[in-house]
Amino acid sequence: MNLKIGWLYPDLMSTYGDRGNVIALLYRARSRGIGATVITISVADSVDKINRADLFFMGGAQDLQQEIVAKDLRAEKGIFLKKAIERGIPGLYICGAFQFLGKYYKTSEGKILEGLDIFDLYTQSGQEKEKRLVGDMVFNPFFAPDKRFVGFENHNGRTYLGKGTQPFGKILKGFGNNGKDGTEGMVYKNSIGSYSHGPLLPKNPELTDWLVQKALQLKYKRKIKLKNLDTKYEDLARKTVIKKLID
Amino acid sequence: MIFINIIFGKFVLFLIRVFSLGDGSTWPGHILLKLNKNFVKDLLKMNKQLNCVLIVGTNGKTTTSSLIDHILKKLGKKCFRNNEGANLLNGIASAFLKNATLTGRLEYDYALFEVDEFNLPFVLQQITPSAIIVLNLFRDQLDRYGEVNEIHNRWLKAFKQLTPNTQIFTNGDDPYLYYLVKDLDCRKNYFGVDIGKMKRTDLPHDIDFSYCPTCFHPLQFQKISFSHLGKYLCENCGISSPKVEDFADRSLKYPLEGLYNIYNVNAALLFIENEVTPIKNKDLNYLLSGFMPIFGRQEAIIYRERKVFLHLVKNPVGFNQTLETLFKTKIRSNKNFLILLNDRIPDGRDISWIWDVDFDRLLLTAKYISIGGDRAFEMYLRLKYETVLLPIDKVRRIKLKVYRSAEEAVAKSIMNLKQNEPLFVLATYSAMLEVRKILVGNKTK
Repeated sequence: MNLKIGWLYPDLMSTYGDRGNVIALLYRARSRGIGATVITISVADSVDKINRADLFFMGGAQDLQQEIVAKDLRAEKGIFLKKAIERGIPGLYICGAFQFLGKYYKTSEGKILEGLDIFDLYTQSGQEKEKRLVGDMVFNPFFAPDKRFVGFENHNGRTYLGKGTQPFGKILKGFGNNGKDGTEGMVYKNSIGSYSHGPLLPKNPELTDWLVQKALQLKYKRKIKLKNLDTKYEDLARKTVIKKLID
Repeated sequence: MIFINIIFGKFVLFLIRVFSLGDGSTWPGHILLKLNKNFVKDLLKMNKQLNCVLIVGTNGKTTTSSLIDHILKKLGKKCFRNNEGANLLNGIASAFLKNATLTGRLEYDYALFEVDEFNLPFVLQQITPSAIIVLNLFRDQLDRYGEVNEIHNRWLKAFKQLTPNTQIFTNGDDPYLYYLVKDLDCRKNYFGVDIGKMKRTDLPHDIDFSYCPTCFHPLQFQKISFSHLGKYLCENCGISSPKVEDFADRSLKYPLEGLYNIYNVNAALLFIENEVTPIKNKDLNYLLSGFMPIFGRQEAIIYRERKVFLHLVKNPVGFNQTLETLFKTKIRSNKNFLILLNDRIPDGRDISWIWDVDFDRLLLTAKYISIGGDRAFEMYLRLKYETVLLPIDKVRRIKLKVYRSAEEAVAKSIMNLKQNEPLFVLATYSAMLEVRKILVGNKTK
């Protein structure tokens, strides 16, 4: 089996150690003998690369970089990305990427920046007196509500999910989407949006496996069971954060 | 007014010392600024002969400031500085207070201030410097400083207020710093390194941006020294590297290892030449001789008959450059490392940046790597996961070990050393203080 990881805009959308998520996907796939490789997709690349990917990752960015990406995605790549997501190609979209998959981002001056309109959500920039939402976070993921996932968030945008949408997690400590409703991120088909960098995947291997498994099942059109890997140090790393915040 | 401020401030300083409440590098200034927010400005009005020099940048502020201080003293100039880390306005006010006479006289030629990246605009409201040295701007402690673009925009705005009374010294190999100053009215001086020292042609991972600051087209780099520093050109709008000064051309023996330190030394010397006095080639080495690495920057300590080198690491570019430098040192094989990662306030609470550091070469060349600190397990994961990118036959040989406490990590790593083997410690700020306490018995510098 092999797995092609489409890393969207690594040169522009990679501000918070986002590479760690890609390395984690490679690690947990290759440790099971799955031939995983990375396809980098950026401004200079053609849309074919999007069609070749079995799984997507896209990280967070600063405003200027995000503008360059928005321009490029709106031109052509966005249409193909949307089709892929609708087809069920799994993906992880962090922070700026998560916001960008929604309907729009409203800046503090009231300007509306349109998103790709794939996720039913919108984001409002924090008002002048509102603080950035920064810190360690702990949450229960939707697919394993008894597990505690950890990450680190740092965002000014407040994201609100549409009615009937599925959040990625329920906040135990931290802010999540907006610091008010206790939701963190969103799930749509096999795509996950989240505010949690840190990066998210190395410390939360169940999610890495969830993404890898979904990607392989879709690709090979059969049920695939991944063999267990030792997660002693992943659990210890996670426990450090949980202990600091909760226990 | 100012005399009352000074007498009061000195009294606060006196109390702090008598009751051992710290080194008085921030609090006296903090209290003074509450009484008179223009204390610094008022004091400088009475001391027009004093040249204030501001040093900003993500990495290298303390080293560059120490270098300039060292050279100025050799040239017989009188100067004072703010304490490392006391780089907000309160630290600067404290430094003024400590060095002023009771009548408010500052009997010095130069005042050197390291300034926090985010706070530079506030400092510029109080001080009209004779020179600003802008070293670099990299991603650093995003949870505290905000993103690089935000700092860049703050500087852009603040620099627009500068007059020709201020000279600017900046890194011409950095396209974004060049863009920041190129149209200013003040005199601009560019330091950098010769293209022969630039070994890379591919863009490293630790860059934030590689697009043109003017027109946002991808920049073409002919050569790269590290991160986004190099010889660049935008084929769309034509912006390109300015001519830079590199003192290596003048048979200079650099007192510190590492390409990043060549930039720091070149910055210091360019400043001296253009702001203080011209230097003859034959005097260059004399001026730098006797310079010792400062606290935690290539500092060497002997502990239980073993040599321990301390390296402060706090952001991806700094960590990568420190590793790069270690790979090039004379001790080529059998390197033992101790990595300590904390996530306290001085370290930055967000540790995700370790995933932007390149660890492949470290894993392939180290004999033994010990790991400790508050977030040791995450550091261990970082290295474990990196092995997936390495050739499979090499992976088995890698020796990694995690320790739960800094004491244990230091003790065990020292025990692992054979005779004549040194230990290289790479630690974040608060972890560095802990290690020094273990090794030399106190926390201070």
